[in-house]
Amino acid sequence: MSHAGSRNWRTVAALLALSLLAIPLGLALGNIRVDYTLVTVAAGGAVLGIVCGVLGSFAVLRQQSLLGDALSHAALPGVALAFLLAGRELGWLLAGAGIASWLGVLLINTLVRRTRLKQDAAMGIVLAAFFALGITLLTYIQSRNDASQAGLDQFIFGQAASIRRQDVLLISVVGLAAFVVLIALWKEFKLITFDPSFAQANGFPLRLLDVLLSTLIVVAIVLGLQLAGVVLMVGLLIAPAVAARQWTQQLDQMLVLAGIFGGLAGAGGSILSGMQQGLPTGPLIIVVAVAIVALSIALAPERGLLWRHWRQRRDRQRFTAQQVLQDIHRHALQHGDPQYPAPGGMLVTLRGPLARPALRHLQREGLLNASAGDDWKLSERGLERSQAAARNQFLWDRYRQFGEDLGLPSLAVDPQQPIDRLLPADAIARLEALD
Amino acid sequence: MATLEALLIDLLLRVTDLQQLNAILGDPQATALITGGLVAFAAALPGTFLLLRKLAMTADAISHTVLLGIVLTFLLLAALPGLEADLNSPWLILGAALAGVATVLLTDAIQRSGLVREDAALGLVFPLLFAIAIILISRLADDVHLDSDAVILGEIGVVWADARSHCLQDCQPLEITPDDPRAETGRRCTNCVELDIGPRDPAAEFEEYCLNCGSYTAAEAWRARLVPQAPTLVFWPRAITSMLLVALLNLAFIALFYKELKLGTFDPALAAALSLRPALLNTALMVLVSVTAVAAFDAVGSVLVVAFFIIPPATAWLLRDRLAHILLLAPAGGVLASLAGYEFSRGNFLGIAQMRDLLLMLDEAIGLDGFTEWNTSISAAIVLMMFLFFLLAWVFSPRQGLLLSLLQHRARQQHFAEQLLLGHVHHHQGTAEAASELAHAGLHQHMGWTPRKTQRVLARLRLRDMLQIEDGILQLTARGERSVRRFMALRGTSGASPAAGR
Repeated sequence: MSHAGSRNWRTVAALLALSLLAIPLGLALGNIRVDYTLVTVAAGGAVLGIVCGVLGSFAVLRQQSLLGDALSHAALPGVALAFLLAGRELGWLLAGAGIASWLGVLLINTLVRRTRLKQDAAMGIVLAAFFALGITLLTYIQSRNDASQAGLDQFIFGQAASIRRQDVLLISVVGLAAFVVLIALWKEFKLITFDPSFAQANGFPLRLLDVLLSTLIVVAIVLGLQLAGVVLMVGLLIAPAVAARQWTQQLDQMLVLAGIFGGLAGAGGSILSGMQQGLPTGPLIIVVAVAIVALSIALAPERGLLWRHWRQRRDRQRFTAQQVLQDIHRHALQHGDPQYPAPGGMLVTLRGPLARPALRHLQREGLLNASAGDDWKLSERGLERSQAAARNQFLWDRYRQFGEDLGLPSLAVDPQQPIDRLLPADAIARLEALD
Repeated sequence: MATLEALLIDLLLRVTDLQQLNAILGDPQATALITGGLVAFAAALPGTFLLLRKLAMTADAISHTVLLGIVLTFLLLAALPGLEADLNSPWLILGAALAGVATVLLTDAIQRSGLVREDAALGLVFPLLFAIAIILISRLADDVHLDSDAVILGEIGVVWADARSHCLQDCQPLEITPDDPRAETGRRCTNCVELDIGPRDPAAEFEEYCLNCGSYTAAEAWRARLVPQAPTLVFWPRAITSMLLVALLNLAFIALFYKELKLGTFDPALAAALSLRPALLNTALMVLVSVTAVAAFDAVGSVLVVAFFIIPPATAWLLRDRLAHILLLAPAGGVLASLAGYEFSRGNFLGIAQMRDLLLMLDEAIGLDGFTEWNTSISAAIVLMMFLFFLLAWVFSPRQGLLLSLLQHRARQQHFAEQLLLGHVHHHQGTAEAASELAHAGLHQHMGWTPRKTQRVLARLRLRDMLQIEDGILQLTARGERSVRRFMALRGTSGASPAAGR
């Protein structure tokens, strides 16, 4: 466990280094001039991405991804109302968004508990109704024609360019506070995420912790709204976490990785949208984030698709090689001469196209000798190996047939395993002594 | 489409006259009302099954991703020669349906890889497709009349403007040839470009040509003032036709496959065992959802559509239990909500209050700087009304309403308290401690209740003639005695004391 853990930490560190490398590389390739605005925007994007990535991990692990979607839509009326009451001050807007999202969670939970509606319908209803309320308020605000209302629309699709330095500071402080809570209640959050009934049985205040964790997710959503906008926020919330999940099995590593990926997506999307007028930030961030997910799904060690494909291929090849070796052995025995060669064409007919690479592989291993033309015969070692395999197979067959009658220990039958290591020597002797 | 419209016009002209019809179809408000009602009707039908199959969020995802279908089809149409790229092309429906199905398939594929769970897969796929669509739109903003506002909200207020003209009378098309008296001639330089000279150059050569030759439809001829007699025209908004078609399609689908849909919704395993192809039917349902979403896109945008799908059926489900009833009630409720929502967008809140007055009140109370103009998007107003109806149904539903369960809860509490008191009296009646346990004065201490509650319970029981007080001591009446025996027999606890006399 600890060994696997430390190896995974090395993966995490490597990915961090790689993503840090992406910065100068991207700057050089994209021909981007580094200036004050760019640094602010990129820093804002990165910080927001990190917070969303880390906190979003819990939404993904608790299978509440779509709740994030509903809550981000539900934040809109809060933003609009806060603007009406307090003006365009980021702190107030965030507070308004938070309260509205909170009410959204409450309403969804109440609907699920008190009516026959299921979670999905409750989310759909709350999402649409709150969003419509937000739109109504926004239309009213627009009709007032304040100059300062410019910048509210950005909450729909996100606009990183409008992030100011003090905003970045505020976001960092709030994010940091969320992290402090997270670390302080680390054990509890971990428990209610993976085994809520165990947590409850051990007297943890499940409801309270649940609410607290939901609040952290709401914080992430509310902070991220500026960047990704309400419609696409769910992508920024869950994509980094889904990507991180592919690389590791451990929660702490997953959170760190999700933070890295989120920061990368946030900064990357913000910079891209800053390069051209009129490109909304949200969509670009989502595209970057999902690209990271696609790469992770393809490349991640152990779980990734490429890795899986490669392992399947390797297993098939090994299996074919084993079979081919046995085929040659059997063929030779039928002809009464252990050195009797088997024609390659026959083996390919028997075992399919994988037989050719298998033959070459066996030859490299020194188990086979190629004689004239396409004929193959066993080497000294190959003979030993096939005899051992044949004996193993023979013993397994006998075990399957008589094992129970002889009162031998019960095993899962797997002829790939050497039976003489699984059974005690006297049991093997009894199997061999049968007639 | 045009034939259908002609047919409809013909039908409508039998019940109304031309002037009135054109007045309605040319009126932004009337058309918005009709379109909104049609969207609500069309969406509630498949929406009922989405709700019962727990696919509400899938519908939300699809209504986002049809946007990508629309944009990509548009680009394809623009790139292919011989096809006209406009936002009313029927090809867009096909593109959107494909996008909807692609969303579902892609989500399934990601989920089946075993690496990502279902909710997260959906949460990845639809933001990605929607994000790509938004990026494409922002790059093509000059070519497509789509902007982010339209995507979010739709433009139900301007559906009247996009209309097809139908000619009823004096519909002769016109062909202007160069020798027609109405032909206008002009001169153009034939060698100016070639020689790179201005038309005033002496070397310039000219030819005469016809400025307005060509063929005209009757409407075009009238607009160009080529004919003295105005043709009789009806301008039919395209959105109404497509919404009507989709509504009919949904209706036909559900009528045809009602049994299969019902079984597939409530018992998919049995449906599969009876070879009713639930998977195929599910795909068909997704296609319907996509088609409905794209037809409604012009009117209500892509974010609010989910409300039209889900909220009216959810409202109906709170009120009724039977699928057939929900299928009748949901579209009706949806249409009603869109009427109310339309009125709401004009400032009339269910006929109870005027939003203007409300804003004036608010202005005085908290200060809105005098901005009391009520102005909102029609689609958002409709959704708010749907939500209001939903809340009302939730509170007042005769089956599982909040109010009802509150009342039932109270009634149960009262009933329990009465039984407890009757049991207490029954238990101590005629025993030595009766004088202390059953004394009216100190009763609340024995029951562990507040004096007020004790008085209320006592009053109710005396009113029903189950209990009487003699010399300050409680006694069961004959009725009270019967009632105690009945509920003790029901519980099967003959002697056990229902009230521990504390």
